[in-house]
Amino acid sequence: MRLPGGLAAYAALYLAFLYAPAMFLPLFSFSDGTIVAFPITGWTLEWYRQLGGQETMLRALANSLAVGAISALLSTSMGVLAARALVRSRFPGSRAAEGLIMLPLVIPGVIVASSMLVLFVSIGLKPSLAAVVLGHAFLALPFSVAIMKSSFEGFDASLEEAAVDLGSTPFETFRRVTLPIAAPGIVASLLVTFTVSFDEFVLAFFLSGSQPTLPVYIWSQIRFPAKLPNTLALGTLLLLASVLLLALAEYFRRRSTGADGS
Amino acid sequence: MESSSIVSMIDVEQRFGSFTALSGFSLELGEGEFFSLLGPSGCGKTTALRIIAGFLEPTSGQVLIDGRSMEGIPANKRPTNMVFQNYAIFPHLDVGDNVAYGLRRRGGADSQIAARVSEALEMVELGGLERRRSSELSGGQRQRVALARALILKPRVLLLDEPLSALDKRLREQMQLELRGLQRNLGVTFVMVTHDQHEAMAMSDRIGVMFGGRLVQVDAPSVLYARPRNSEVASFIGGMNLLAARIEATSGERITVGTQCLPQMEIGRNPNAVTAGRDILVGIRPEHVRIGAAAPEGCDAAVRGEVIDVAFHGESVRYRVRVDGAREPFAVSAPSHTGAARLECGEMAWLGFESDSVVELGDADGQDWQIQRGGNR
Repeated sequence: MRLPGGLAAYAALYLAFLYAPAMFLPLFSFSDGTIVAFPITGWTLEWYRQLGGQETMLRALANSLAVGAISALLSTSMGVLAARALVRSRFPGSRAAEGLIMLPLVIPGVIVASSMLVLFVSIGLKPSLAAVVLGHAFLALPFSVAIMKSSFEGFDASLEEAAVDLGSTPFETFRRVTLPIAAPGIVASLLVTFTVSFDEFVLAFFLSGSQPTLPVYIWSQIRFPAKLPNTLALGTLLLLASVLLLALAEYFRRRSTGADGS
Repeated sequence: MESSSIVSMIDVEQRFGSFTALSGFSLELGEGEFFSLLGPSGCGKTTALRIIAGFLEPTSGQVLIDGRSMEGIPANKRPTNMVFQNYAIFPHLDVGDNVAYGLRRRGGADSQIAARVSEALEMVELGGLERRRSSELSGGQRQRVALARALILKPRVLLLDEPLSALDKRLREQMQLELRGLQRNLGVTFVMVTHDQHEAMAMSDRIGVMFGGRLVQVDAPSVLYARPRNSEVASFIGGMNLLAARIEATSGERITVGTQCLPQMEIGRNPNAVTAGRDILVGIRPEHVRIGAAAPEGCDAAVRGEVIDVAFHGESVRYRVRVDGAREPFAVSAPSHTGAARLECGEMAWLGFESDSVVELGDADGQDWQIQRGGNR
């Protein structure tokens, strides 16, 4: 169906409003001026080249990668189990459980962050990368559960019964049938939860203490005008990585829901 | 008794919350038997199958396989294997690995397993397709893989859950013959769940007819057809004209019945042991009613009516004939090869009945919808 001209223009404006600001970031990261303003006088890759030598930035990157990887593993393994229970079994409170799992999507980040800070400090867990991992696992769990639910919903329950019928114990069935068939969904979930953690700022800001993650590092650098072009370059790379990871995740998610060629 | 049975189910009941899916279910299955559980959807037949397989633990009652109680024995430790309704072929494994799944976990040399797999695939006429991906299989091939995967484990009982319902009509008829042939050759007990009476009749040694969670009648197909226990069974298996009748007299096994539209008849057999004076239902199959323009000879009762419907079905012509006193028109099926002139709508016709083909179907004090539809009183 063709859109009437007015609506098409509205849609174009809408998309421009959403994405144009994000496009300025890469644009200015290639500008040879240190001030973010038009006109752009020349192009350079200098800011990207300089990133390589910045110790604190690289350490923040390493922190982010570690936190992202561990929290992705944590939230995905919890997500696989929770989603399987939600899809396969009827149990009292299953709807309430699902609601509670999805809640982090809508609680304001500042609230979650400050209450986690209070909680962690009161149980003796100092602000640290470990605290960020826990926070991010909590935050990423709804994403994992949503992805794994759609994966299990496209997965015929009789496949697991067939494995049991052929002699497998429940654990063998999970390992030899459930996991392999759900594998694309699991990869999608790992990628998405990693990205959620990698890009997250508020929780990391509250909980990271003296070990900043990359977004926290970027925030700290924005105060120094001289560093701004470097920050733009770094932000551009982050943006690119996120888009790539999410596109890859979507590819795996589609494979997992349409898994069986029948 | 139990020792000669492969499967014994004794007074099994299955409840799901307040819903009773199966009650008072007792059944003995013999060695090498092809047994079908037949009934409308929701009658509990799949529940019964899943209890034998071990996917459901019955609320009460006993299940024995080979004389051994199955209480507390999970599905993976039972000598049964199942062909699932949608075949449940593992999508991440190829045909050979699907068929080898059960064998591999039992252990054994790879070469031995490969030989058994190829033998099993030969048996279902899929020889040489080991490396075919499961996504490239047709519906019929998927079913054959499911059969090979289950039979390779040499189960004492093979359970089949609506195995043919996913296939188109021609393939279904071919697979009926093949399944039956396979079962005869292997001598393995097959238990099949189906809602298709033709399928059950064509394939089974015995059929158990189920309604509302109960096993109503267990008999060979021919007995089930000739002597249905009640109007439910009668109407589910083939067509049946139901008539309200009163028992005028009984004499041993024989009873004399009167109906509003037919002369009094003495009919044989009295399976429900009804007594004189009771209102009952009697039934007669459409193909047992004789029809003609002239009064038929050699019948025990005859009546005249008006043809209100004629339909040609190839091997037979089916009529509906309205008779005074009968609530519903008679359904009549006459073979089309006899050369007798076909009757047309609006013509008057004679219907002839033989008392031996009229069956007694129990009390008319309706316990179910068929009886109400049959129109008593």
